[in-house]
Amino acid sequence: MRTYFPVEELARDERFSKVNMRERMADPRTLAGDSATTTRKSRGNNNRLVPSRRDATDAARALMHGIFVGEIQALEGAGRTCHDFAVSNVPGTGPSGADSDPTTGNTVPFALKLDMARQAWDEARHVEISVKLSDWMGTEIGQFAENTVLFEAACSTDPVLRLAGVNRALEGLAIDVFTTMKDFGDLAGDPYLEFCEDWMLADEVTHVKMGSDWLRKVTENDPDRRKKALDFQNVVDKLFSYGGTRSDSEESPIGLARRFRELAGFSDAEVADIAAVSLAALDERKSSVAKMRDQAVTEMADQLGTA
Amino acid sequence: MNITVTPATFSYVEFDADLTTRVARELAASMGLDRDVRIEIDETTPLAKIIVDVPTAANEPIVVHADSGAFEDTRRPRRQSENTTATSLGRVLYRATDRLQGGFGEAPADGELTLAQMAAWETYSVGRLARLGIPVNQQRWRYNFRNRHGFSDAGDESFALLWSSDGLTWGELQAISERAISVGTPARAQVGT
Amino acid sequence: MADPYKPRAPIAPWDRRELPGLFDVEESARRIGNYTWAEMKLFEALGGWVATVPELDVKMRLGTHCYKHAWHAELWHKRLPELREMNPDRLTEPANDAMVQFVEAMTEPEAPELTIEKLVGVYRVFIPHFVAAYTFHKNNTSQITDAPTIRSLQFILQDEHDDWREGEMLLQSLIETPEEVDRATAHQARLQKLMLQAGGIAGPGSIGMNPTTSASATAGATNRNGGH
Repeated sequence: MRTYFPVEELARDERFSKVNMRERMADPRTLAGDSATTTRKSRGNNNRLVPSRRDATDAARALMHGIFVGEIQALEGAGRTCHDFAVSNVPGTGPSGADSDPTTGNTVPFALKLDMARQAWDEARHVEISVKLSDWMGTEIGQFAENTVLFEAACSTDPVLRLAGVNRALEGLAIDVFTTMKDFGDLAGDPYLEFCEDWMLADEVTHVKMGSDWLRKVTENDPDRRKKALDFQNVVDKLFSYGGTRSDSEESPIGLARRFRELAGFSDAEVADIAAVSLAALDERKSSVAKMRDQAVTEMADQLGTA
Repeated sequence: MNITVTPATFSYVEFDADLTTRVARELAASMGLDRDVRIEIDETTPLAKIIVDVPTAANEPIVVHADSGAFEDTRRPRRQSENTTATSLGRVLYRATDRLQGGFGEAPADGELTLAQMAAWETYSVGRLARLGIPVNQQRWRYNFRNRHGFSDAGDESFALLWSSDGLTWGELQAISERAISVGTPARAQVGT
Repeated sequence: MADPYKPRAPIAPWDRRELPGLFDVEESARRIGNYTWAEMKLFEALGGWVATVPELDVKMRLGTHCYKHAWHAELWHKRLPELREMNPDRLTEPANDAMVQFVEAMTEPEAPELTIEKLVGVYRVFIPHFVAAYTFHKNNTSQITDAPTIRSLQFILQDEHDDWREGEMLLQSLIETPEEVDRATAHQARLQKLMLQAGGIAGPGSIGMNPTTSASATAGATNRNGGH
């Protein structure tokens, strides 16, 4: 078995269809579709995923399937971190029998591996929960295309970047998503959704905290490495704020779960940063849409002028 | 009966106007719908909204406005799914048929329907689509109905009644929906209690 | 109520635990060091394989079992300092070179079509040998002086039996043709031979029987600690 596993080779049965972030962003409708303005027609400026939205049921089903495949990738990512790095305090126990990765020299503390194994179990349970919830909501396995970006963030050869990208950025996003879904279930009176999301939320807070703690410990004497990791986290945070999907604004379907993020070890300044990045992404999208609309109007005027 | 689909060719998505035409024609024939149908697809949006304008004048066509997501294969973005197309079109064409065939004169315009009324009508429509042989996931529609009528045994009974019904009037449909709502779900229902 | 000041037997008549045991502190620590290493290799392999298997149910089981073996490794790692090994990492090592070869061969399959081989290695060879070595240890160590090890062994054996059963049931559900039976048994035989050379999780004597009569078995089983 190789030490690092490429995202393209993630093993899935025939029900699944994978798309990567590049393909998703290449969909011309993502910007041209002007979903922000289209939805505003029917919902004012409120796009938050709440039961009162006309498309709430299907939107919740799609989000639940996104959670389901995200949990699979989180399971795979945690498992790979158990496997891919030698243990720093046990010479000769790396997966290839080397003291550390011959290319990067990266090792991880034994206790970090144990935490990743624990996370693998938690994520396996989340997959089980998601399968049952999806079934409850009338969604079939593989019914929606799977975006593999989460595992991409778990492919770094530096374990610290994995902690920053997966445990802090993506599991942090999971806190926001689960909070939104939990609230959705609560408002709709769906007993299972609210119940399950609450349990998963508790695990996610633990995972983010694991990431925060290990990032601090492992980079204690290496400020450059810590900065690199936090920069990577920002990139992932921004990637997942793409299109303003998650922000404090009611125009975003998913809100920022400030209280749970604090429990997970995010400082006030970090939460403020994520809020700013998310709002900027929302504004960026709105401005792109406005620009395209202006361009279309200009082109149409030109054509009419020349006709 | 004439079916037209616009645009005829697509640049944002890989859709097939002929496929859409065929699906619409088969559905209309199964429903006994004898009006012309015009289907306008907005391929610039991935959203899945689909609405229908039902004309009062007999010589005017039924007009369906669909976002591309309404016909899309959710497994393969930007590609068309025949089954999704049939389900989406079937829902609005059944609503149009109901309005045209009578018994639904008191029904509010689509834009004025409450979420519960729409969910009830969708249940009634999709149940009939299932009996036409269109593959549908009943649980999806049950979940939609529950979200709008509460999570209760009485709600599920109402769902089952709507799903298996034919020839309902608006009054009958609304009464079933209201009965489910009146039972409702207690807020913050506990699992296992 | 009985008189609380009346002398009672310090060890109750129904308590049949025995003082003597087969292992001294040093031998117990050596074995536990081997267990730690082997459990680590197992949880690393299970974690690594999660991404490589297409079967969703198998994927979830591997993730779940990954944690269980990590926990076993942690229990053993914590036990070593209690056995006078203040540097637990010194004893955290394979029983012998043949055990390293076994783990390398077991973790070799990676392709998505090789789920049967992956599961055979773990659930038909490695885990049964864990069960054997742990059972031998539990039944032969001093029931009084080594009670902390026995307690861990009981927890761990419960896990091993549960996982063994789940893995075996997954295999039975995956093996659908005579050709797949051949694949499974061929891979099992290959790994079993390597394990035979290793002599078990803790080397020759893992289950008390020292296969010194077999030349091929001892050839590759040079114990790194010169133990039993």
